[in-house]
Amino acid sequence: MVSKTEETQLSNLESQVDNGGGGAWEYLCLVRKLKVRRSEKVLKHGLSILNDPKKRSSLGPDEWTLYDQVAVAAMDCQCLDVAKDCIKVLHKKFPESKRVGRLEALLFEAKGSWEEAEKAYSSLLEDNPLDQVIHKRRVAMAKAQGNMSGAIEWLNKYLEIFMADHDAWRELAEIYSSLQMYKQAAFCYEELILSQPMVPQYHLAYADVLYTLGGLENVQTAKKYYASTIELTGGKNTRALFGICLCSAAIGQLTKGRNKDDKESPELQSLAATALERDYKQRAPDKLSLLTTALKSLKVSL
Amino acid sequence: MGGEVRYEIAQNAYAKLVLHALKHKSSAVNAVLIGRPSSAHNDVVEITDSVPLFHSHVGLLPQLEISLILIEEHYAATGVNIVGYFHSNERFDDYELSGVAKNIGDHIYRYFPQAAILLLDNKKLEALPKGKDRSPVMQLYTRDASKNWKLAGSDGGSQLTIREPSANVVLLDYISTEKWKDIVDFDDHLDDISKDWLNPELFK
Repeated sequence: MVSKTEETQLSNLESQVDNGGGGAWEYLCLVRKLKVRRSEKVLKHGLSILNDPKKRSSLGPDEWTLYDQVAVAAMDCQCLDVAKDCIKVLHKKFPESKRVGRLEALLFEAKGSWEEAEKAYSSLLEDNPLDQVIHKRRVAMAKAQGNMSGAIEWLNKYLEIFMADHDAWRELAEIYSSLQMYKQAAFCYEELILSQPMVPQYHLAYADVLYTLGGLENVQTAKKYYASTIELTGGKNTRALFGICLCSAAIGQLTKGRNKDDKESPELQSLAATALERDYKQRAPDKLSLLTTALKSLKVSL
Repeated sequence: MGGEVRYEIAQNAYAKLVLHALKHKSSAVNAVLIGRPSSAHNDVVEITDSVPLFHSHVGLLPQLEISLILIEEHYAATGVNIVGYFHSNERFDDYELSGVAKNIGDHIYRYFPQAAILLLDNKKLEALPKGKDRSPVMQLYTRDASKNWKLAGSDGGSQLTIREPSANVVLLDYISTEKWKDIVDFDDHLDDISKDWLNPELFK
């Protein structure tokens, strides 16, 4: 997960490198650090360093890390010959390496040779039964073959052992969401919020799932988590602000005709609406009138 | 008597859908189709524009509801409405119409009974540079009498055509110049409201 500042930093560096302004190695390091998927760029700029003997030797021992990074990027772009060459170089340098073994198995995956990949991973696991990367590849392979229930099963097994792996919980939540298994997705976000309560993205995702599930209690809870997202982001999160308005409208609908005690105070929704209007006025003024009409249709009083 | 609705999609609307999918190659993406019934032929629906929606959390409701409200509001003023839905699956060889896609299609159908769902055909897209195919790189689904979304067959004339015959040539050109980089969807807008989901400058 990447913050807005990190995303901007990455984009700026990317434009710089793309336009010949140098900084390729910094860019590649940043991509590695943020664990983002920019395979076409990594391939292009990584190869420009690797194919230049001077640049390559100036990397020192980092050269091997770059071969690894470029191999994976090449596989993602289906440039399997490039990947094979990188792996060959690494194999020569590190003949007994498990890490290179993983790359070779990954190459089977890239070719779609699932059985070979599975065999390779199983044998690697014999010596390293707790290798997290390999366990996760199993999930990825299931997903790639469209075996969603298999992916879910593997991922759940993985999380029983590695329950602190936040990326895994997020992946599981997203798989559940895509299959419309919203209750299960909610459970994943609950785990994430419990372990990392100050990360606003989890509050937001949880609220989104609860709203999607629907029903008065879920929508009321969703509203609370949109509110906590707003708090954690200093009121700057557009999705959470909209979320408050949607929840208020839904709660209004669901509590129609009930007595006053069940109804909510309108302060939060009018604050959210005002914040949205202010923001649109400043940064998207041509969309302001659309926003105002939309908020009116949600019967949000301003 | 056919009784089957035909759909004619404008080149820009068509290109936007494909470019959006190409921008986010490792996710499912979706979009809405904008248009109206043809004034000339009463069994033709013209798809005049499209709005790319999301490339993450495609199955969640809040962002979808907000986007539909804003989009409907904008286009109603120009006499067109939401007439269909576009979906691109996460995996290359996945030709299944997901529950999410069907649900959104059902919702649109309630307001526009001739609604269509378009599903990106990755294999056709891949084959585009190799042939001279003028047909759209998408599958068409329409609602049948038993309320199911049915794949339109390629038997007896195409139900889905592109208005401009050279659209695929233009699309290939856009792809080679990586035009997808410039496309903005609703996800991008919600992350940064200064980004315009109408993509006014995209084809200028």
